[in-house]
Amino acid sequence: MIPAMAKITFSLAFLLCVIIKCNGVSVDTISDDIRLKNVDRHIDISSQLVKITSKITLENAGQKPAKNFLYAVESTAKNNLAFVGVKDNNNRDLRLVETTVKGHDGVKFWRVELKEPINAASSLVLTAESVYTKSLLPYPTAITQQEDQLVKYNGNLYFFTPYPVTSQKTSVAMITKAVESFTKVKPFSQQDGTILYGPYSNTGPFTEKELSVHYKNNSPFLTVTRLERLIEVSHWGNIAVEEKIEIEHTGAKLKGPFSRYDYQQDHHSGPASVRSYKTLLPASAADVYYRDTNGNISTSNMKVKKDSVELDLRPRYPLFGGWRSHYTLGYNVPSYEYLYHSGNEYLLKMRVVDHIFDDMQIDELITKIVLPEGSTNIKINTPYSVTRLPDSLHYTYLDTKGRPVITFTKTNVVENHIQDFQLRYTFPRILMLQEPLLVVGFLYLLFLCVIIYVRLDFSIHKSEHPHKE
Amino acid sequence: MTVETQPKAKLPYLSSDKQLTFIKLAVLSMAAILSFATRLFSVLRFESVIHEFDPYFNYRTTRYLTEEGFYNFHNWFDDRAWYPLGRIIGGTIYPGLMVTSATLYNIMQFLNITIDIRNVCVFLAPFFSSLTTIVTYLLTKELKDEGAGLVAAAMIAIVPGYISRSVAGSYDNEGIAIFCMLLTYYFWIKAVNTGTILWATMTALAYFYMVSSWGGYVFLINLIPLHVLALMLLGRFSARVYVAYSTLYCVGTILSMQISFVGFQPVQSSEHMLALGTFGLCQLYAFAQYLRARLSPANFELLFRALLTTLLATLGTAVVALTVTGKISPWTGRFYSLLDPSYAKNHIPIIASVSEHQPTSWSSFYFDLQVLVFLFPAGLYFCFSKLTDANIFIILYGVLSIYFAGVMVRLMLVLAPVMCIVSGVAASSLLSLHVKDIEPKVDKHDKKKKHENNFVFRSEVGTLFVCVLGCLLVSYVFHCTWVTSEAYSSPSIVLSARAHDGARIIFDDFREAYTWLKMNTPEESKVMSWWDYGYQITAMANRTVIVDNNTWNNTHISRVGQAMASSEERAYEIMRELDVDYVLVIFGGLVGYSSDDINKFLWMVRIGGSTERGAHIREADYYTPAGEFRVDADGAPTLLNCLMYKMSYYKFGLVYTEGGRPPGFDRVRGAEIGNKDFNLDVLEEAYTTEHWLVRIYKVKPLPNRGL
Repeated sequence: MIPAMAKITFSLAFLLCVIIKCNGVSVDTISDDIRLKNVDRHIDISSQLVKITSKITLENAGQKPAKNFLYAVESTAKNNLAFVGVKDNNNRDLRLVETTVKGHDGVKFWRVELKEPINAASSLVLTAESVYTKSLLPYPTAITQQEDQLVKYNGNLYFFTPYPVTSQKTSVAMITKAVESFTKVKPFSQQDGTILYGPYSNTGPFTEKELSVHYKNNSPFLTVTRLERLIEVSHWGNIAVEEKIEIEHTGAKLKGPFSRYDYQQDHHSGPASVRSYKTLLPASAADVYYRDTNGNISTSNMKVKKDSVELDLRPRYPLFGGWRSHYTLGYNVPSYEYLYHSGNEYLLKMRVVDHIFDDMQIDELITKIVLPEGSTNIKINTPYSVTRLPDSLHYTYLDTKGRPVITFTKTNVVENHIQDFQLRYTFPRILMLQEPLLVVGFLYLLFLCVIIYVRLDFSIHKSEHPHKE
Repeated sequence: MTVETQPKAKLPYLSSDKQLTFIKLAVLSMAAILSFATRLFSVLRFESVIHEFDPYFNYRTTRYLTEEGFYNFHNWFDDRAWYPLGRIIGGTIYPGLMVTSATLYNIMQFLNITIDIRNVCVFLAPFFSSLTTIVTYLLTKELKDEGAGLVAAAMIAIVPGYISRSVAGSYDNEGIAIFCMLLTYYFWIKAVNTGTILWATMTALAYFYMVSSWGGYVFLINLIPLHVLALMLLGRFSARVYVAYSTLYCVGTILSMQISFVGFQPVQSSEHMLALGTFGLCQLYAFAQYLRARLSPANFELLFRALLTTLLATLGTAVVALTVTGKISPWTGRFYSLLDPSYAKNHIPIIASVSEHQPTSWSSFYFDLQVLVFLFPAGLYFCFSKLTDANIFIILYGVLSIYFAGVMVRLMLVLAPVMCIVSGVAASSLLSLHVKDIEPKVDKHDKKKKHENNFVFRSEVGTLFVCVLGCLLVSYVFHCTWVTSEAYSSPSIVLSARAHDGARIIFDDFREAYTWLKMNTPEESKVMSWWDYGYQITAMANRTVIVDNNTWNNTHISRVGQAMASSEERAYEIMRELDVDYVLVIFGGLVGYSSDDINKFLWMVRIGGSTERGAHIREADYYTPAGEFRVDADGAPTLLNCLMYKMSYYKFGLVYTEGGRPPGFDRVRGAEIGNKDFNLDVLEEAYTTEHWLVRIYKVKPLPNRGL
């Protein structure tokens, strides 16, 4: 009896282990067959973001065809990583799966699934793109109104990879010539606004060496600390979008006074401040409003272009380092551009997040989608992983049981995340009659009450000559 | 008027009775809609935004009420104002306005009508003016007839004297108080006419609503006893009046004492003594009537005299004793200034400094009432010609409010409704008198008609008269619309001007500065400014202020005035003492905005010098030897070196404002400033808005030792 019990327990435990293994993050091993023949890396630090584009020539030195390879990000940078994507030579996006490798706990790995396996002894050219936020630190951390903003970039001189690299080159672009200092590892050369490193040959796997550049960067250092995007779908032909935006200048803080006189007289004054920025809305956006808790912000211009509506938004005050602002931006778009249906099945296809300004960085994004009352079977499909928050109900005009609200959130969002989500739901079209009928019914009841009231006589005492006057 | 001529034209399928009802309903509802619509100029021109200063406080408290609930609101101690004293908001405001809009808001939220609280506040005053229109109709109907009611309703819908305080966004007590006042009057007239306890209780309830919403209820609680007294004197006192007034006084007084700001005032303060006295007199009078009916005249005479002497003696000693012991509060300054226009100017600089407490000029009577000024005497004549209890009330109301409106500009508001009512009576009576004459002579061959018809051109005179009156009324409509759109519809928080090419320029500097304060200063920082901007700073910037528009503590305001009027070193001591982090001044010299702090500066000097600690501040020091207030090089050196001057003109000496003028030319004062090249030692410029309207300075910390 007892051995049998033990057997069952053991097998159960085994089963459990297998299940956990399957559900958990997959574990990969680093293949010895893959080598990187050539890496051409371009680091763009001219804006507030660090955008690294690497052209990788992958070589299969083994016997078997390789279906995938690993892409790695060093432990120091992984928390600032906002976006990573790999494209093949036909400019197709490849699928990335997060993974781990035993013995390299600090490092973040992705397994890149290739469309066609690389055969033995052949090679393939891929383009990997990654965007980091908050990697450019202002140094000094506080400047006066007249001073330029200097920032420091700390990165890796070599391409970080689990595979040996035969030859690699790196170029760092910062547009400005005003470079205070930078890491000098031969061979290197400095052309206007760009520093070229390499070629370096035969670097081993996981090689790290500090690359540091201290330079002038007066591009807008604006961080959206919180963005709440509300999409309200109406089946009467309209989709209302409202974005509540909290914004902060995260560059070097303003030290000392702000002089309006200098700011108005000299247009080079306050080089690191942000006077205005451009927001692009969908081309069909109408009824745009721009306000904050104190009312309408009157300083904005709208330009309707062919493929977008360009808003030139000026905050109420120029933003200097450490200054914050908040506002609400809303508009309507016609639903036929985003809402598709067949029978009672609907599909909403809209952007998870939209453009706020060029090279934007968003700390926290919350997207809420309000569907019409009575929508069921809601299924959402997002282009990248997001955290889904519990659904809630939203009550507004003529609602009885509330409209379903789908909410999800994501941190560390950049322009590369402007992609469409797909939301499927079922909505019986007959329900569209509910709201008009509600109004009709209410008015009917009201008139009925008046008719009854007029015909009733509540007086105790009847006057003897009612119409004598 | 139209109502009376209309039934002749047959509407299909409606009896003439129903036609009349239909037309009355149509006219009244159109007047109500018009009164709402005409108040929307500012919303259409600018946006749905709260105006001026006090409304911002009301808006803030309403928001608090909707967010925190009534009990928290009632117990609210506000540490954002009057630092370091704070203010007990629940006990020092009339909560009627906030409770009204919060109730409306909650009802709408319950019905899933998701209007935000700001819009409820913005549109509350127009909504209540619609209700006022209806109540005016009812009240005038009680006084005269339905025709007069409709004319009065149409007039009050657009009268500028009332619109000035009830445009959309002007979210103030007066917006609903006028409605409450007229409602109370209506119920009072009803109660006097019927003598039922029901109507008297309704009057008390309406009075309670009035007390809860505006300090002007004192006018009401003196007017009604005065009416009762007048009825007594005219020998019209009856059981109806007795029932009405006794019920109103008992129920109304108990109810009004529930408002914590009013408290025991109805039985203690001198302003309420007339009501109490009349109440006592009513009882005596009724008792005397009763005795007179039961006793022989000789006995009655004896008893009456004995009672009267003892009563008067006890009353007199009681009043004196209570006044001496301080149980009956002395008359407050604001009330004195009602009786004696020069009182405030001589005694209380804070009251005198408010423009709406100034005596009214003759032109503003015409500006605010136009044709009503001429119709009013005619209306009074018609009231006198058929004297009733109700007419006596309206005559008293009219005469008293004319006096009070002459004393204080803001009381024009109380005058406007009675002007409309009385003028409505006049217009309606005149029209119905003459419209009869124009009627085509139907063959009516009775003798009476012929006798009446002995005027020549009777019909022509009638036509002419109706035309003239019609023209006057039309001009009234145009005048009212023009005044509303030009004078009373600017939010004053957003300014606009015309550029040379006709384009509209918006000066949104106030909100720019307040938003800057809100977003970019530490949450607990204290902001010092002149008291005018206190409410706006707490509401829009959510920062603690030293003084605000609730001018309850004169010494505190005086301290701020002293800081503004002192030199930098002295001001620094005061600012350290008050724990000030930021100082905010309004400066209009760059764009020519004339109600800025330099123009208000003399009040700061006066108020600053009015207390003991400000004895060193003398108004004379700020004038030139010739007695002028000048900011240019000839100005008094004390002025050119005081804190307010320095904060306003810091770095202004470098700016070219107008072509052909030297730099530092102040466009408001029309002078080149006298002190251009100076630095600030204890302050640093923290922010200045785009058009320099608002300048914010940061108070520097004490310098480190040994540096």
